[in-house]
Amino acid sequence: MNLKKLVFLGLFLASFVVNGQNKQILYDFSEIPQSAMVNPGVEIDFQWYAGIPVLSGVMLQAGSSGIAVDDIFANDGIDINDKIRDRAIYGMDIKDELSGTFQVEFLNLGFRGKNPDLFYTGGMYLEGDAIGYWFRDYAILAYEGNADRLNERFDLSHLKTRGELVNVLHFGLNKNVGDGLTIGGRAKIYSSIFDFNSTKNRGYFVTSPGENNIYVSTLEANMQLRTSGINSISDSFDDETTGSTILKRALLGGNLGLGFDLGFTYHLSDQLVVTGSLLDLGFIYHANDVKTFSLNGRNTVEGLEVILPDAFNDPDTDFWEDLVDEVEEFLPFEDDSNSYVSFRPTKLYGSIRYNFGEPVSGMANCDCGIKAGRSPSNRAKYVNGLGAQLYAINRPRGPQAALTAFYHRRFGNFMALKATYTVDKFTYSNVGLGINLQAGPVNFYAMADNLLAYRNIAASNYASFQLGLNIISWGKR
Amino acid sequence: MKRILSICSVVFLLAATLFSCVEEQDFDQYDEIEVTPTLEASMLYVEAPEDMVNSAPSNVVFTQNFNFDAFSYDAFSERVLDGTITYLVENTTSKTLSITIEFLDDQDNLLGQADNITVDPNSTSQLDVSYGDAGRSIEIIKNTSSIRVSTTNLGDTTSVSNQPDPKIVVKSSAKFRVQLK
Repeated sequence: MNLKKLVFLGLFLASFVVNGQNKQILYDFSEIPQSAMVNPGVEIDFQWYAGIPVLSGVMLQAGSSGIAVDDIFANDGIDINDKIRDRAIYGMDIKDELSGTFQVEFLNLGFRGKNPDLFYTGGMYLEGDAIGYWFRDYAILAYEGNADRLNERFDLSHLKTRGELVNVLHFGLNKNVGDGLTIGGRAKIYSSIFDFNSTKNRGYFVTSPGENNIYVSTLEANMQLRTSGINSISDSFDDETTGSTILKRALLGGNLGLGFDLGFTYHLSDQLVVTGSLLDLGFIYHANDVKTFSLNGRNTVEGLEVILPDAFNDPDTDFWEDLVDEVEEFLPFEDDSNSYVSFRPTKLYGSIRYNFGEPVSGMANCDCGIKAGRSPSNRAKYVNGLGAQLYAINRPRGPQAALTAFYHRRFGNFMALKATYTVDKFTYSNVGLGINLQAGPVNFYAMADNLLAYRNIAASNYASFQLGLNIISWGKR
Repeated sequence: MKRILSICSVVFLLAATLFSCVEEQDFDQYDEIEVTPTLEASMLYVEAPEDMVNSAPSNVVFTQNFNFDAFSYDAFSERVLDGTITYLVENTTSKTLSITIEFLDDQDNLLGQADNITVDPNSTSQLDVSYGDAGRSIEIIKNTSSIRVSTTNLGDTTSVSNQPDPKIVVKSSAKFRVQLK
């Protein structure tokens, strides 16, 4: 398989990854330090923790709402062009999403303050996120063309995409307020490495019977593509300075932004707990290495039009150049370097959990018990937890939600499991499983999603995994 | 015992995950992907009134080269496979007219053969010319830089049509298949 094929397959697979960013297994899995990243108000009983750099949190999510690799590349004897036409071009809807997310933690630390009710967290992680909706009419135009499609409008709004690579520095505070309430907040500084978005396109292209000539082609467009950081990285390929360019832009040398996470945990009773969090409530101001491309206007063309005898008044008339000039005048393609603001994809989590079974003594040095409500460190944990979670994310075509039922099981203090069943617009059979292992101070966790699809991973519409390695201390016993 | 069973089930699930299956995929099918849209648009429109036809010296109403770069753009010329050019000539004058259309390269050399359309008074004539495997050489299209249109009056120079706004109209459109992959 040559490089061209690999690039194509890579892009193909990357373009069909979907449902990014829902970390339903990690959410409220309080044995894992990284659960604070999805709820800064999670109950934390550690004295301190430190993630192993680069290995403390690795997450990749992939999937598809409309098509899977198997649909196109299965060795089934069907012509691949028929499969592309039937299953992709016409088989997918403009609401089908094509997106993906990855996160790699470089640094993640947490420690309890002199006031034992306060727990501080901080660190840095790299996040890549991209989403594109199925650009159906563009695909039809590219695959089949406009011939024999008189009066059929190709909708330019089908192009709706955004993506970014951003380094995030964060500092958070988790506070046990008492009476079963824990709250938390986190401030984030975003250092954007690159960003692109084209989400508010309008217009159409149509070919109709002409008034004069046989056909008239009409293009009405109000389109914009905003980018930042792309040129720097593109230039760095030529200069062979890609690594240092990305590093510089990641460490506050790119475009900067500010954001916040908020969260809470509240015990409605000894066994009933509600939680909630709001993540990435923030923005990035792009003023550095910005390039915005726009196409605005309307024009109709019936080919070269020569009306005699007036057209011959000027023997030097170049009708072709006149036509090109007219198109450019009425439908200008322009670029500028004006700054812009992009908003982060804000996420919302909520859950309700019922704990039951035998209480498990925590690792913390405490006078523990079920009713020890003063501190999460003192609160004994139940063996079982059963509940439901809600997840929503703000996307270019509006909020996207998922509902999860979960069962959380603890095996002493050395292992905990969480099984989830998630329903969203992409799949009704998403069963996930997470495991947390604690060997002395060493903490290891791993999670995988949509396990039923692993019978044939190529036919899977969605898959994700997440793993990490931490050192945790509960203080002296 | 219950604990052992639970641990075993976890190990089983993790093993199932690790040893998940992938049905046979054939990524060599990539080579068989063909993206060949067919594009269609108007090309050239020329009209001349009957009084211009009547006053033409030597009955040659006009002969004109029109710069036409649409076919010579690399994005098109390097990808075009085959197609058809359609001419539609409407003659509402009172005399028979002959239309000649020639494709020229950037040195004004004739490419292929000229197309001639003779149209009777008050009538319409259509000509479809194929290029590519089922017609003339597609190289003609790829090298076209301008189009020469000539109109000759084969009738008298005094009669006047009773049609409103009598004129000769030459319409044309191109429909070509291009290979994007």
